[in-house]
Amino acid sequence: MISELPEEYLFDLESEQRVLSSMLHSEDACIETYNLLTASDFYSPRNALLFELSCGLYLREIRPTLVEVLKEGHNLGLFTNPRDIEELKYIAEHYIDDENIKYWIGKVKDKSRLRKFVEFLKASYEILMENQGTDVEQILMSAEEKLTNLTALEIDDHVDGPADMANLGYDEVERRFLRYKSINELNKGLIPLDGLSTGFDNLNHITLGYKPGDLIILGAQTGHGKTAFALHTAKAIAVDSKKNVLYLNTEMSREQIALRWGSILSGIEHERIRAGNINETELSIMLNAYSRLRDSGFYSYPCPNLTPEKTVSIARKFKAQKNIELMIIDYVGRMDKYDPRVPEWQMLEQIVKTQKMLAQNLKIAVMCLVQLNADGTMQGARRMKNECDLMLKLTPIPREDFELSEEIKKYLNPNYYLIIEKNRDGRSGVSIPIVFDLQKQSMKDAERISR
Amino acid sequence: MTFGDEKKKKLYAETASLIADMGFRDKLSIEEMNFLLNLLDMVVVKQEQPRLIQTLKNWVNTNKGSEIDEIIKATLVTADFNNPESLEQCLQLVTELLESRGD
Repeated sequence: MISELPEEYLFDLESEQRVLSSMLHSEDACIETYNLLTASDFYSPRNALLFELSCGLYLREIRPTLVEVLKEGHNLGLFTNPRDIEELKYIAEHYIDDENIKYWIGKVKDKSRLRKFVEFLKASYEILMENQGTDVEQILMSAEEKLTNLTALEIDDHVDGPADMANLGYDEVERRFLRYKSINELNKGLIPLDGLSTGFDNLNHITLGYKPGDLIILGAQTGHGKTAFALHTAKAIAVDSKKNVLYLNTEMSREQIALRWGSILSGIEHERIRAGNINETELSIMLNAYSRLRDSGFYSYPCPNLTPEKTVSIARKFKAQKNIELMIIDYVGRMDKYDPRVPEWQMLEQIVKTQKMLAQNLKIAVMCLVQLNADGTMQGARRMKNECDLMLKLTPIPREDFELSEEIKKYLNPNYYLIIEKNRDGRSGVSIPIVFDLQKQSMKDAERISR
Repeated sequence: MTFGDEKKKKLYAETASLIADMGFRDKLSIEEMNFLLNLLDMVVVKQEQPRLIQTLKNWVNTNKGSEIDEIIKATLVTADFNNPESLEQCLQLVTELLESRGD
Protein backbone atom coordinates (compact mmCIF):
# COMPACT_ATOMS: atom_id res chain seq x y z
CA MET A 1 0.00 0.00 0.00
CA ILE A 2 2.85 2.35 0.90
CA SER A 3 4.51 1.65 -2.42
CA GLU A 4 1.31 2.83 -4.15
CA LEU A 5 1.97 6.40 -2.99
CA PRO A 6 2.67 8.61 -5.99
CA GLU A 7 6.39 9.39 -5.91
CA GLU A 8 5.92 13.11 -6.54
CA TYR A 9 3.99 13.29 -3.26
CA LEU A 10 7.29 12.73 -1.46
CA PHE A 11 9.32 15.59 -2.85
CA ASP A 12 9.02 19.16 -4.04
CA LEU A 13 11.83 20.09 -6.40
CA GLU A 14 10.54 23.60 -6.91
CA SER A 15 10.85 24.38 -3.19
CA GLU A 16 14.34 22.90 -3.10
CA GLN A 17 15.37 25.06 -6.06
CA ARG A 18 13.85 28.20 -4.56
CA VAL A 19 15.72 27.65 -1.30
CA LEU A 20 19.01 27.08 -3.14
CA SER A 21 18.39 30.12 -5.34
CA SER A 22 17.83 32.33 -2.32
CA MET A 23 21.10 31.07 -0.79
CA LEU A 24 22.85 32.25 -3.95
CA HIS A 25 21.25 35.70 -3.80
CA SER A 26 21.00 36.64 -0.14
CA GLU A 27 23.23 36.23 2.88
CA ASP A 28 20.27 36.36 5.28
CA ALA A 29 18.60 33.50 3.42
CA CYS A 30 21.88 31.63 3.52
CA ILE A 31 22.04 31.95 7.32
CA GLU A 32 18.42 30.75 7.71
CA THR A 33 18.91 27.79 5.41
CA TYR A 34 22.23 26.77 6.91
CA ASN A 35 20.65 26.69 10.35
CA LEU A 36 17.38 24.98 9.48
CA LEU A 37 18.21 22.41 6.80
CA THR A 38 20.72 19.63 6.25
CA ALA A 39 21.81 18.02 2.99
CA SER A 40 19.63 14.98 3.81
CA ASP A 41 16.51 17.19 3.68
CA PHE A 42 16.95 17.51 -0.10
CA TYR A 43 15.42 14.80 -2.26
CA SER A 44 17.55 15.49 -5.31
CA PRO A 45 21.20 14.43 -4.79
CA ARG A 46 22.20 17.27 -7.11
CA ASN A 47 20.37 19.80 -4.92
CA ALA A 48 21.93 18.27 -1.80
CA LEU A 49 25.35 18.69 -3.40
CA LEU A 50 24.68 22.36 -4.24
CA PHE A 51 23.50 22.91 -0.67
CA GLU A 52 26.73 21.40 0.66
CA LEU A 53 28.85 23.46 -1.72
CA SER A 54 27.09 26.66 -0.62
CA CYS A 55 27.40 25.79 3.09
CA GLY A 56 31.10 24.95 2.63
CA LEU A 57 31.73 28.39 1.13
CA TYR A 58 29.62 30.11 3.77
CA LEU A 59 31.60 28.46 6.59
CA ARG A 60 34.81 29.76 4.99
CA GLU A 61 33.24 33.25 5.07
CA ILE A 62 32.82 33.33 1.30
CA ARG A 63 29.36 34.44 0.27
CA PRO A 64 28.03 31.60 -1.91
CA THR A 65 27.09 33.62 -4.98
CA LEU A 66 26.43 31.89 -8.30
CA VAL A 67 29.97 32.78 -9.37
CA GLU A 68 31.57 31.36 -6.21
CA VAL A 69 29.55 28.14 -6.42
CA LEU A 70 30.50 27.76 -10.09
CA LYS A 71 34.19 28.26 -9.29
CA GLU A 72 34.08 25.94 -6.28
CA GLY A 73 32.26 23.19 -8.20
CA HIS A 74 34.73 23.51 -11.07
CA ASN A 75 37.78 23.44 -8.76
CA LEU A 76 36.48 20.31 -7.04
CA GLY A 77 35.81 18.65 -10.37
CA LEU A 78 32.05 18.48 -9.71
CA PHE A 79 31.04 20.72 -12.62
CA THR A 80 32.77 19.63 -15.78
CA ASN A 81 30.37 20.09 -18.64
CA PRO A 82 28.20 22.95 -19.92
CA ARG A 83 25.02 21.09 -18.85
CA ASP A 84 26.05 21.58 -15.20
CA ILE A 85 26.17 25.34 -15.78
CA GLU A 86 22.70 25.36 -17.34
CA GLU A 87 21.34 23.42 -14.38
CA LEU A 88 22.86 25.84 -11.88
CA LYS A 89 21.64 28.84 -13.86
CA TYR A 90 18.13 27.36 -13.93
CA ILE A 91 18.21 27.04 -10.12
CA ALA A 92 19.63 30.55 -9.66
CA GLU A 93 16.67 31.95 -11.58
CA HIS A 94 14.09 30.61 -9.09
CA TYR A 95 14.06 34.03 -7.39
CA ILE A 96 12.17 34.58 -4.16
CA ASP A 97 11.87 37.50 -1.76
CA ASP A 98 13.97 37.21 1.38
CA GLU A 99 10.93 37.35 3.68
CA ASN A 100 9.51 34.19 2.09
CA ILE A 101 12.52 32.01 2.78
CA LYS A 102 11.03 30.37 5.88
CA TYR A 103 7.96 29.31 3.89
CA TRP A 104 10.08 27.51 1.28
CA ILE A 105 12.40 26.00 3.90
CA GLY A 106 9.27 24.71 5.66
CA LYS A 107 8.09 23.04 2.45
CA VAL A 108 11.46 21.31 1.95
CA LYS A 109 11.49 20.23 5.59
CA ASP A 110 7.94 18.86 5.45
CA LYS A 111 8.69 16.68 2.45
CA SER A 112 11.86 15.46 4.13
CA ARG A 113 9.89 14.46 7.25
CA LEU A 114 7.27 12.80 5.08
CA ARG A 115 9.93 10.66 3.42
CA LYS A 116 11.29 9.69 6.83
CA PHE A 117 7.76 8.75 7.88
CA VAL A 118 7.34 6.54 4.82
CA GLU A 119 10.68 4.87 5.59
CA PHE A 120 9.44 4.31 9.14
CA LEU A 121 6.23 2.68 7.86
CA LYS A 122 8.14 0.44 5.48
CA ALA A 123 10.64 -0.58 8.19
CA SER A 124 7.81 -1.25 10.68
CA TYR A 125 5.99 -3.38 8.11
CA GLU A 126 9.15 -5.40 7.45
CA ILE A 127 9.73 -5.92 11.19
CA LEU A 128 6.15 -7.11 11.56
CA MET A 129 6.47 -9.57 8.69
CA GLU A 130 9.82 -10.95 9.82
CA ASN A 131 9.04 -11.31 13.55
CA GLN A 132 5.50 -12.62 13.66
CA GLY A 133 6.05 -14.63 16.83
CA THR A 134 7.83 -11.99 18.90
CA ASP A 135 6.65 -9.76 21.68
CA VAL A 136 4.03 -7.32 20.33
CA GLU A 137 4.60 -4.95 23.23
CA GLN A 138 8.29 -4.65 22.31
CA ILE A 139 7.52 -4.01 18.64
CA LEU A 140 5.01 -1.30 19.55
CA MET A 141 7.36 0.32 22.05
CA SER A 142 10.18 0.47 19.51
CA ALA A 143 7.85 1.89 16.85
CA GLU A 144 6.51 4.47 19.27
CA GLU A 145 10.00 5.68 20.13
CA LYS A 146 10.91 6.13 16.48
CA LEU A 147 7.64 7.91 15.77
CA THR A 148 8.10 10.23 18.74
CA ASN A 149 11.52 11.24 17.42
CA LEU A 150 9.93 11.98 14.05
CA THR A 151 7.09 14.12 15.36
CA ALA A 152 9.00 16.02 18.05
CA LEU A 153 10.53 19.37 17.21
CA GLU A 154 14.11 18.96 16.01
CA ILE A 155 15.52 20.94 18.87
CA ASP A 156 13.77 18.80 21.48
CA ASP A 157 14.09 15.48 19.71
CA HIS A 158 15.99 13.79 22.49
CA VAL A 159 13.98 12.20 25.26
CA ASP A 160 15.90 11.00 28.31
CA GLY A 161 14.86 7.57 29.55
CA PRO A 162 15.40 6.57 33.21
CA ALA A 163 18.78 5.00 32.38
CA ASP A 164 19.94 8.10 30.45
CA MET A 165 19.02 10.36 33.33
CA ALA A 166 20.71 8.11 35.89
CA ASN A 167 23.91 7.89 33.80
CA LEU A 168 23.93 11.63 33.21
CA GLY A 169 23.43 12.31 36.93
CA TYR A 170 26.21 9.95 38.02
CA ASP A 171 28.65 11.26 35.38
CA GLU A 172 28.01 14.84 36.50
CA VAL A 173 28.51 14.00 40.17
CA GLU A 174 31.68 12.02 39.39
CA ARG A 175 33.06 14.88 37.27
CA ARG A 176 32.41 17.36 40.05
CA PHE A 177 33.83 15.01 42.72
CA LEU A 178 37.07 14.58 40.75
CA ARG A 179 37.29 18.29 40.12
CA TYR A 180 36.77 19.07 43.79
CA LYS A 181 39.45 16.55 44.71
CA SER A 182 41.91 18.05 42.26
CA ILE A 183 41.16 21.53 43.60
CA ASN A 184 42.12 20.48 47.09
CA GLU A 185 45.14 18.45 46.06
CA LEU A 186 46.60 20.43 43.17
CA ASN A 187 45.12 23.86 42.84
CA LYS A 188 45.25 24.87 46.49
CA GLY A 189 41.57 25.73 46.65
CA LEU A 190 41.30 27.71 43.40
CA ILE A 191 38.08 26.65 41.74
CA PRO A 192 38.30 25.90 38.00
CA LEU A 193 35.44 27.35 36.00
CA ASP A 194 32.59 25.48 34.34
CA GLY A 195 32.18 28.20 31.72
CA LEU A 196 33.70 31.49 30.61
CA SER A 197 35.45 33.79 33.06
CA THR A 198 33.30 36.68 34.26
CA GLY A 199 36.36 38.89 34.79
CA PHE A 200 35.73 39.00 38.56
CA ASP A 201 37.22 36.34 40.89
CA ASN A 202 34.38 36.64 43.41
CA LEU A 203 31.70 36.30 40.73
CA ASN A 204 33.59 33.36 39.19
CA HIS A 205 33.65 31.71 42.61
CA ILE A 206 29.87 31.98 43.03
CA THR A 207 28.76 31.25 39.43
CA LEU A 208 31.66 29.08 38.13
CA GLY A 209 31.56 31.26 35.01
CA TYR A 210 29.11 31.95 32.18
CA LYS A 211 28.01 28.60 30.75
CA PRO A 212 26.76 27.66 27.27
CA GLY A 213 22.99 28.23 27.15
CA ASP A 214 23.09 30.89 29.91
CA LEU A 215 21.22 34.15 29.58
CA ILE A 216 22.87 36.83 31.71
CA ILE A 217 21.19 40.16 32.37
CA LEU A 218 23.19 43.09 33.67
CA GLY A 219 21.32 46.23 34.75
CA ALA A 220 22.81 49.65 35.48
CA GLN A 221 21.64 53.25 35.33
CA THR A 222 22.73 55.55 32.52
CA GLY A 223 26.40 56.47 32.86
CA HIS A 224 27.03 53.83 35.52
CA GLY A 225 29.19 51.35 33.64
CA LYS A 226 27.05 49.17 31.36
CA THR A 227 29.46 49.39 28.44
CA ALA A 228 32.50 49.31 30.74
CA PHE A 229 31.13 46.08 32.27
CA ALA A 230 30.49 44.61 28.81
CA LEU A 231 33.99 45.40 27.60
CA HIS A 232 35.52 44.22 30.91
CA THR A 233 33.77 40.86 30.34
CA ALA A 234 34.92 40.85 26.70
CA LYS A 235 38.49 41.51 27.84
CA ALA A 236 38.45 38.58 30.27
CA ILE A 237 37.12 36.20 27.61
CA ALA A 238 38.38 37.48 24.25
CA VAL A 239 41.70 39.10 25.20
CA ASP A 240 42.85 37.12 28.26
CA SER A 241 41.38 33.70 27.35
CA LYS A 242 41.46 34.19 23.53
CA LYS A 243 37.92 32.89 23.10
CA ASN A 244 35.56 34.40 20.56
CA VAL A 245 33.04 37.02 21.66
CA LEU A 246 30.52 38.94 19.56
CA TYR A 247 29.69 42.42 20.84
CA LEU A 248 26.57 44.14 19.47
CA ASN A 249 26.42 47.82 20.28
CA THR A 250 23.30 49.85 19.49
CA GLU A 251 24.51 53.35 20.36
CA MET A 252 28.27 53.72 19.91
CA SER A 253 30.29 54.20 16.73
CA ARG A 254 33.19 51.94 15.70
CA GLU A 255 35.65 54.69 16.66
CA GLN A 256 34.14 55.13 20.12
CA ILE A 257 34.37 51.40 20.82
CA ALA A 258 37.96 51.25 19.54
CA LEU A 259 38.98 54.19 21.76
CA ARG A 260 37.38 52.59 24.82
CA TRP A 261 39.53 49.51 24.21
CA GLY A 262 42.61 51.73 24.17
CA SER A 263 41.82 52.94 27.64
CA ILE A 264 40.88 49.51 29.04
CA LEU A 265 44.01 47.80 27.74
CA SER A 266 46.52 50.58 28.39
CA GLY A 267 45.22 51.92 31.70
CA ILE A 268 45.43 55.48 30.34
CA GLU A 269 42.52 57.83 31.07
CA HIS A 270 39.81 57.74 28.43
CA GLU A 271 39.42 61.54 28.33
CA ARG A 272 43.11 62.02 27.52
CA ILE A 273 43.03 59.39 24.82
CA ARG A 274 39.96 61.00 23.26
CA ALA A 275 41.63 64.41 23.25
CA GLY A 276 44.93 62.98 21.95
CA ASN A 277 46.58 64.40 25.09
CA ILE A 278 49.20 61.66 25.56
CA ASN A 279 52.99 61.63 25.33
CA GLU A 280 55.20 59.48 23.12
CA THR A 281 55.81 56.85 25.80
CA GLU A 282 52.06 56.51 26.24
CA LEU A 283 51.62 56.25 22.48
CA SER A 284 53.93 53.26 22.48
CA ILE A 285 51.96 51.77 25.42
CA MET A 286 48.84 52.20 23.28
CA LEU A 287 50.49 50.34 20.42
CA ASN A 288 51.16 47.38 22.73
CA ALA A 289 47.62 47.57 24.06
CA TYR A 290 46.08 47.40 20.58
CA SER A 291 48.37 44.53 19.61
CA ARG A 292 46.70 42.54 22.41
CA LEU A 293 43.32 43.42 20.91
CA ARG A 294 44.58 42.37 17.46
CA ASP A 295 45.40 38.88 18.81
CA SER A 296 42.09 38.55 20.66
CA GLY A 297 38.76 36.92 19.76
CA PHE A 298 36.74 40.16 19.96
CA TYR A 299 34.24 40.79 17.14
CA SER A 300 32.33 44.05 17.20
CA TYR A 301 29.12 44.69 15.30
CA PRO A 302 27.80 48.23 15.75
CA CYS A 303 24.13 48.23 14.70
CA PRO A 304 21.91 51.16 15.62
CA ASN A 305 18.78 49.50 14.18
CA LEU A 306 19.03 46.20 16.00
CA THR A 307 15.89 44.06 16.26
CA PRO A 308 15.42 40.74 18.11
CA GLU A 309 15.18 38.95 14.75
CA LYS A 310 18.44 40.51 13.57
CA THR A 311 20.27 39.36 16.72
CA VAL A 312 19.21 35.80 15.88
CA SER A 313 20.59 35.88 12.35
CA ILE A 314 23.80 37.69 13.37
CA ALA A 315 24.43 35.24 16.22
CA ARG A 316 23.86 32.22 13.96
CA LYS A 317 26.25 33.63 11.37
CA PHE A 318 29.01 34.28 13.92
CA LYS A 319 28.48 30.94 15.63
CA ALA A 320 28.91 29.13 12.31
CA GLN A 321 31.80 31.20 11.02
CA LYS A 322 33.70 32.22 14.17
CA ASN A 323 32.44 29.74 16.78
CA ILE A 324 31.62 32.51 19.27
CA GLU A 325 31.11 31.47 22.89
CA LEU A 326 29.50 34.67 24.15
CA MET A 327 27.30 37.34 22.59
CA ILE A 328 26.85 40.67 24.37
CA ILE A 329 23.95 42.99 23.51
CA ASP A 330 24.67 46.56 24.59
CA TYR A 331 21.85 47.41 25.22
CA VAL A 332 18.32 46.01 24.85
CA GLY A 333 16.46 49.28 25.57
CA ARG A 334 17.86 50.70 22.32
CA MET A 335 16.60 47.83 20.20
CA ASP A 336 13.97 48.65 17.58
CA LYS A 337 10.40 47.66 18.36
CA TYR A 338 8.87 45.17 15.96
CA ASP A 339 5.50 46.81 16.68
CA PRO A 340 5.40 50.40 18.01
CA ARG A 341 2.07 49.74 19.81
CA VAL A 342 3.64 47.09 22.05
CA PRO A 343 4.35 48.41 25.56
CA GLU A 344 8.00 48.61 26.69
CA TRP A 345 7.77 45.78 29.27
CA GLN A 346 6.21 43.43 26.74
CA MET A 347 8.94 44.18 24.22
CA LEU A 348 11.67 43.57 26.82
CA GLU A 349 10.03 40.28 27.77
CA GLN A 350 9.95 39.24 24.12
CA ILE A 351 13.62 40.19 23.65
CA VAL A 352 14.86 38.21 26.65
CA LYS A 353 12.77 35.18 25.68
CA THR A 354 14.30 35.25 22.19
CA GLN A 355 17.79 35.58 23.63
CA LYS A 356 17.30 32.69 26.06
CA MET A 357 16.18 30.43 23.22
CA LEU A 358 19.08 31.60 21.10
CA ALA A 359 21.59 30.86 23.88
CA GLN A 360 20.20 27.34 24.30
CA ASN A 361 19.94 26.56 20.59
CA LEU A 362 23.43 27.78 19.73
CA LYS A 363 24.96 26.62 23.03
CA ILE A 364 26.52 30.01 23.70
CA ALA A 365 26.19 32.42 26.60
CA VAL A 366 24.21 35.59 25.85
CA MET A 367 24.57 38.74 27.94
CA CYS A 368 21.93 41.47 27.69
CA LEU A 369 22.58 44.88 29.17
CA VAL A 370 19.49 46.73 30.40
CA GLN A 371 18.92 50.17 31.81
CA LEU A 372 17.80 50.66 35.39
CA ASN A 373 15.22 53.28 36.29
CA ALA A 374 16.30 56.27 38.39
CA ASP A 375 15.12 54.47 41.56
CA GLY A 376 17.32 51.45 40.75
CA THR A 377 14.44 49.23 39.63
CA MET A 378 14.33 47.44 36.31
CA GLN A 379 11.49 47.70 33.82
CA GLY A 380 9.80 44.31 33.36
CA ALA A 381 12.18 42.96 36.03
CA ARG A 382 10.01 40.08 37.22
CA ARG A 383 9.51 38.66 33.75
CA MET A 384 13.16 39.09 32.83
CA LYS A 385 14.16 37.40 36.08
CA ASN A 386 12.04 34.38 35.14
CA GLU A 387 13.81 33.94 31.83
CA CYS A 388 17.43 34.55 32.77
CA ASP A 389 19.96 32.32 34.49
CA LEU A 390 21.95 35.10 36.08
CA MET A 391 20.71 38.59 36.88
CA LEU A 392 23.26 41.18 37.95
CA LYS A 393 22.94 44.83 38.96
CA LEU A 394 25.75 47.34 38.92
CA THR A 395 25.11 50.19 41.31
CA PRO A 396 27.18 52.74 43.29
CA ILE A 397 27.68 51.83 46.95
CA PRO A 398 25.30 54.05 48.99
CA ARG A 399 26.97 56.59 51.25
CA GLU A 400 25.37 55.11 54.39
CA ASP A 401 27.03 51.76 53.68
CA PHE A 402 30.45 53.40 53.97
CA GLU A 403 29.45 54.81 57.35
CA LEU A 404 27.45 51.92 58.77
CA SER A 405 28.56 48.69 57.14
CA GLU A 406 31.41 46.93 58.88
CA GLU A 407 31.75 44.59 55.92
CA ILE A 408 32.46 47.32 53.37
CA LYS A 409 35.23 48.72 55.58
CA LYS A 410 37.15 45.47 55.02
CA TYR A 411 37.75 46.40 51.37
CA LEU A 412 40.22 48.79 49.76
CA ASN A 413 38.47 51.69 47.93
CA PRO A 414 35.33 49.91 46.69
CA ASN A 415 32.85 52.22 44.98
CA TYR A 416 30.31 49.91 43.28
CA TYR A 417 28.32 46.83 44.16
CA LEU A 418 27.87 44.02 41.71
CA ILE A 419 24.65 42.53 43.06
CA ILE A 420 23.62 38.97 42.20
CA GLU A 421 19.83 39.23 42.04
CA LYS A 422 19.33 35.74 40.63
CA ASN A 423 21.65 32.81 40.12
CA ARG A 424 20.05 29.62 38.83
CA ASP A 425 23.03 27.46 39.80
CA GLY A 426 24.05 28.91 43.13
CA ARG A 427 23.87 31.63 45.72
CA SER A 428 21.98 34.86 45.04
CA GLY A 429 21.28 38.02 47.01
CA VAL A 430 25.03 38.65 47.29
CA SER A 431 26.60 42.10 46.84
CA ILE A 432 30.19 42.00 45.59
CA PRO A 433 32.17 45.20 46.22
CA ILE A 434 34.17 46.22 43.16
CA VAL A 435 36.34 49.13 42.06
CA PHE A 436 35.10 50.90 38.93
CA ASP A 437 37.51 53.46 37.51
CA LEU A 438 35.32 55.54 35.22
CA GLN A 439 38.29 57.42 33.75
CA LYS A 440 40.23 54.29 32.81
CA GLN A 441 37.04 52.35 32.05
CA SER A 442 38.39 49.53 34.18
CA MET A 443 36.74 47.28 36.75
CA LYS A 444 38.16 44.82 39.29
CA ASP A 445 37.28 43.01 42.50
CA ALA A 446 37.81 45.25 45.51
CA GLU A 447 40.80 44.00 47.49
CA ARG A 448 40.14 42.73 51.02
CA ILE A 449 42.31 44.49 53.59
CA SER A 450 41.31 42.71 56.80
CA ARG A 451 39.44 39.63 57.97
CA MET B 1 11.47 42.01 -5.48
CA THR B 2 11.15 44.75 -8.09
CA PHE B 3 11.23 44.10 -11.81
CA GLY B 4 14.59 45.92 -11.95
CA ASP B 5 16.07 43.64 -9.28
CA GLU B 6 14.87 40.56 -11.10
CA LYS B 7 16.25 41.83 -14.39
CA LYS B 8 19.62 42.55 -12.77
CA LYS B 9 19.75 39.06 -11.24
CA LYS B 10 18.83 37.49 -14.56
CA LEU B 11 21.54 39.46 -16.33
CA TYR B 12 24.06 38.39 -13.68
CA ALA B 13 23.07 34.71 -14.01
CA GLU B 14 23.19 34.90 -17.84
CA THR B 15 26.63 36.53 -17.80
CA ALA B 16 28.06 34.13 -15.20
CA SER B 17 26.86 31.08 -17.13
CA LEU B 18 28.11 32.49 -20.44
CA ILE B 19 31.61 33.02 -18.98
CA ALA B 20 31.65 29.57 -17.32
CA ASP B 21 30.34 27.95 -20.49
CA MET B 22 33.19 29.48 -22.52
CA GLY B 23 35.66 28.26 -19.89
CA PHE B 24 34.25 24.73 -19.94
CA ARG B 25 34.40 24.67 -23.76
CA ASP B 26 38.05 25.82 -23.69
CA LYS B 27 37.27 29.11 -25.43
CA LEU B 28 38.71 30.86 -22.35
CA SER B 29 41.60 29.68 -20.19
CA ILE B 30 40.82 28.79 -16.55
CA GLU B 31 42.63 31.97 -15.44
CA GLU B 32 40.62 34.11 -17.85
CA MET B 33 37.37 32.48 -16.76
CA ASN B 34 38.13 33.00 -13.06
CA PHE B 35 39.14 36.61 -13.66
CA LEU B 36 35.91 37.42 -15.52
CA LEU B 37 33.76 35.62 -12.94
CA ASN B 38 35.48 37.48 -10.09
CA LEU B 39 35.05 40.75 -11.93
CA LEU B 40 31.34 40.04 -12.39
CA ASP B 41 30.89 39.41 -8.64
CA MET B 42 32.91 42.53 -7.88
CA VAL B 43 30.70 44.72 -10.06
CA VAL B 44 27.25 43.24 -9.45
CA VAL B 45 27.31 41.69 -5.97
CA LYS B 46 30.04 43.39 -3.96
CA GLN B 47 29.95 46.70 -5.84
CA GLU B 48 33.54 47.47 -4.84
CA GLN B 49 36.74 48.66 -6.50
CA PRO B 50 35.49 51.47 -8.81
CA ARG B 51 39.16 52.27 -9.58
CA LEU B 52 39.70 48.80 -11.00
CA ILE B 53 36.68 49.19 -13.26
CA GLN B 54 37.88 52.60 -14.48
CA THR B 55 41.40 51.27 -15.15
CA LEU B 56 39.97 48.31 -17.06
CA LYS B 57 37.79 50.64 -19.14
CA ASN B 58 40.85 52.76 -19.99
CA TRP B 59 42.81 49.70 -20.99
CA VAL B 60 40.05 48.07 -23.05
CA ASN B 61 39.49 51.30 -25.01
CA THR B 62 43.16 51.61 -25.91
CA ASN B 63 44.26 47.97 -26.16
CA LYS B 64 46.28 47.49 -29.35
CA GLY B 65 47.48 43.97 -28.58
CA SER B 66 51.05 45.18 -27.99
CA GLU B 67 53.57 43.38 -25.80
CA ILE B 68 52.75 45.69 -22.86
CA ASP B 69 49.05 44.92 -23.36
CA GLU B 70 49.88 41.23 -23.08
CA ILE B 71 51.80 41.90 -19.85
CA ILE B 72 48.83 43.90 -18.50
CA LYS B 73 46.49 41.01 -19.30
CA ALA B 74 48.82 38.46 -17.68
CA THR B 75 49.00 40.69 -14.57
CA LEU B 76 45.22 41.06 -14.39
CA VAL B 77 44.28 37.41 -14.79
CA THR B 78 46.50 36.38 -11.89
CA ALA B 79 45.09 39.04 -9.54
CA ASP B 80 43.82 37.72 -6.21
CA PHE B 81 40.35 39.20 -5.79
CA ASN B 82 40.05 37.91 -2.23
CA ASN B 83 43.07 39.89 -1.07
CA PRO B 84 42.43 43.68 -1.25
CA GLU B 85 46.10 44.49 -0.65
CA SER B 86 47.34 42.29 -3.47
CA LEU B 87 44.56 43.59 -5.74
CA GLU B 88 45.63 47.15 -4.99
CA GLN B 89 49.27 46.30 -5.87
CA CYS B 90 48.13 44.69 -9.11
CA LEU B 91 46.12 47.79 -9.96
CA GLN B 92 49.10 50.02 -9.28
CA LEU B 93 51.25 47.89 -11.58
CA VAL B 94 48.65 48.00 -14.36
CA THR B 95 48.39 51.80 -14.00
CA GLU B 96 52.19 52.10 -14.31
CA LEU B 97 52.22 49.79 -17.34
CA LEU B 98 49.48 51.86 -18.99
CA GLU B 99 51.52 55.02 -18.34
CA SER B 100 54.71 53.43 -19.68
CA ARG B 101 52.79 52.61 -22.86
CA GLY B 102 52.52 56.37 -23.30
CA ASP B 103 48.69 56.69 -23.53
